[in-house]
Amino acid sequence: MNDKQKDLFQKFAALASLAALTVVFALVSDAFFSVGNGMTVALQVTSIAYLGIGATCVIITGGIDLSVGAILALAGVVAAMSVKAGVPVPLAMLAGVLVGALCGAVNGLCVTLLKLPPFIATLGMMLVARGVALQITDARAIGGLGDSFAELGNGSLARVVKIGADGFPDVVFPGIPYPVLLMVLLGVAVAVLLNRTTLGRHLYAVGSNTEAARLSGVDVRGVTLFAYVLSGTLAGLTGCVLMSRLVTAQPSEGLMYELDAIAAAVIGGTSLSGGIGTISGTVIGAFVIGILRNGLNMSGVSAFIQQIIIGLVILLTVWIDQMRHRR
Amino acid sequence: MQPSLQPAAGDPPLLRLNGIAKRFLSVTALKDVSFELRRGEVHAVCGENGAGKSTLMKIISGQLEPDEGEIHFKGQPVRFVSTRDAEAAGIAMIHQELNLVPHLSVAENIFLAREPRRGLFIDRAQLRANARRCLSRLGIEIDPDTPVRTLPVAQCQMVEIAKALSIRAEALIMDEPTSSLTESETGQLFRVIQELKRSGVAIIYISHRLDELVQIVDRVTVLRDGRHVCTDDFAATSVDEIVVRMVGRALDEKFPPRTSVPTADVLMRVQGLTRRGVFRDVGFELRRGEILGFAGLMGAGRTEVARAVFGADLPDSGSIMLGDQTLRIRSPQDAIRHGVAYLSEDRKSHGLALGMSVAENVSLANMSALASGLGFIRFAQENEVAQRYVDALDIRTPSTRTLVRLLSGGNQQKVVIAKWLFRNSRVLFFDEPTRGIDVGAKFAIYTLLDELASQGIGVVLISSELPEILGMTDRVAVFHAGRITAVLDTRRTSQEEIMHHASGRVAATALAS
Repeated sequence: MNDKQKDLFQKFAALASLAALTVVFALVSDAFFSVGNGMTVALQVTSIAYLGIGATCVIITGGIDLSVGAILALAGVVAAMSVKAGVPVPLAMLAGVLVGALCGAVNGLCVTLLKLPPFIATLGMMLVARGVALQITDARAIGGLGDSFAELGNGSLARVVKIGADGFPDVVFPGIPYPVLLMVLLGVAVAVLLNRTTLGRHLYAVGSNTEAARLSGVDVRGVTLFAYVLSGTLAGLTGCVLMSRLVTAQPSEGLMYELDAIAAAVIGGTSLSGGIGTISGTVIGAFVIGILRNGLNMSGVSAFIQQIIIGLVILLTVWIDQMRHRR
Repeated sequence: MQPSLQPAAGDPPLLRLNGIAKRFLSVTALKDVSFELRRGEVHAVCGENGAGKSTLMKIISGQLEPDEGEIHFKGQPVRFVSTRDAEAAGIAMIHQELNLVPHLSVAENIFLAREPRRGLFIDRAQLRANARRCLSRLGIEIDPDTPVRTLPVAQCQMVEIAKALSIRAEALIMDEPTSSLTESETGQLFRVIQELKRSGVAIIYISHRLDELVQIVDRVTVLRDGRHVCTDDFAATSVDEIVVRMVGRALDEKFPPRTSVPTADVLMRVQGLTRRGVFRDVGFELRRGEILGFAGLMGAGRTEVARAVFGADLPDSGSIMLGDQTLRIRSPQDAIRHGVAYLSEDRKSHGLALGMSVAENVSLANMSALASGLGFIRFAQENEVAQRYVDALDIRTPSTRTLVRLLSGGNQQKVVIAKWLFRNSRVLFFDEPTRGIDVGAKFAIYTLLDELASQGIGVVLISSELPEILGMTDRVAVFHAGRITAVLDTRRTSQEEIMHHASGRVAATALAS
């Protein structure tokens, strides 16, 4: 098999397992295979996907970002507090995203300038961001954020509603939820960035061989910094979307999300040693996790068993991936 | 030198391989190869890169299983599934990239995973004593408690050999053992090899430095394109004959005729370059169209000076001028922007992104030339450029999108060169460009150096091989202990004179003149 075929094979294998999962759950549970549940899954997957896209970029450079779950909480809380303080919703959300970008920049500077191992740098940020989020809210959820705050997380594009003969509204087409739309846009944009631009090429080069990249004139610091800022920004965005969906800002939201993000990337074929990874793989990985969770839920499997199964799936996929790369 | 113990031809061989074949996907690496190793002999295995030497050695040392053929060791058919199996039988391999744990001591490395124990604990006294015994058998003095990371390469190699002896290896494979040794260290290694021969150990010796075979080798086997070409007593053949067999054609000259003529205008002038504790007050001039050699012993500061000029490590003081412009080089990016390039001696860890394709490596230093204003890569053009260099440099690769990892050493080196040619460099530092590369590819690289110089590029050739310096350069700067002790006209100098300056014996006089 040449590389192209291998690549196709991997994509196909991941997609096939996704399809297999869908079929199995559709047989087990009547409610699983419906438009409504499909939308629910897609919505649930969005958070993992946003974070996974950022995680993929960071992991491609040979790094890791453990702080996204905490950054997400901080960003959401900042956005909500801004709204409470009278800032218009779009600006408040922008502030949330910027907080995420700022945290990402701090991560990146710790890695590039202070030369801290990414694991440590982002572990520190994880604790700091979570601590700040809890401190500024007194560990209390912020509610009563209003309809316009909820729009981003709950609204959809092209929703068609007809008023029926009985005078009640009838949903003809549920529309495409904004978070799902955003996931598609982000996925395409970052995939194009990785595959078609010099910056993307440099991300892969840094992860493949940092020293060779540096001696070839690649701005290793700049490229690495970019990856962490992107990851932080996406975490900030995730926070805004998630809190908007819940119409509540929870400082304890997003716990362990960083691990879901990394798992999605890894299931999608991203190599933790750097230099390898695709956005399409990560999105598929996010769906694998999302469908597993949702399907197991609907089949009445307990949350504890779910964890066990997802853990085993991660081990299995990474093992298969390594078998494929071994020669 | 006569071998001390001439093995009798009638003895059953220690190791016999019959009809070995190995394929990787669609590539045939070995086909019907037979090989025989006798007790107490040093048996050289020669061949160009990609001839199948590494694959054969991996099969003998248990890293790979052959698709066809049989292996007999000490008269018994054997099947090795892992290096552990091979080592248990008595076959050990010493890799070019040494496999030692830097933070452990010499003794701990020698007996790694085989530590003598008392109950649950390591018996340190026993460990030390055993290590000392192994080392003294080789006639080398290293304190067994020294951490390996503090040892020079040559001594690390001795530790590897001691490790092999400690598992009672009867057959030892040495892959390019001298590639990073100085001349005196090589001498020491050869004495150890003689010692091993006397005790009946058989050695398979792989080296691209054919000249050194004369000193130690009993027999030689040549492989070409995965097939066995011949096995001869070394006394009955010659280096020239071996080369002919290796490349399958006669190579009249080791070096191409020089066509480039150095001009008088100075392209680069370096003055007073100093990096504390590494080199000091280094100055040289490089002329347009010239090949300037950097000669000297390992650790004399040649690589370090080149890296400083390139901005890979920053010097403490000194000036670098290109034409009449003084350069401020703070990073490789600065150097590259001014057209200065450095090709590292360690192409695998510093030169290439092995997991990326040929095309991606070629374009890496000059992405902006292949991208639109927004940074979008023009793939068709990138492929075209890569294909152009693949053709021009005769890089043997299935396609421009093949991963560099899959190419042979010589072809990988050409990919690095292609990268810098595409960058339109004005000054090129080549650091040991032919290390670990076969004869045919070496000649191609020499031809390329000459062509570059004749295009008006300034070429600096850093080399530990004096024939290469004498054959290819116009002038030689000789380094000793972090200083340039002499700049010599290549046509009017000799190997002896260069060595003289490199050893520092005339350092004082040279600086005075």
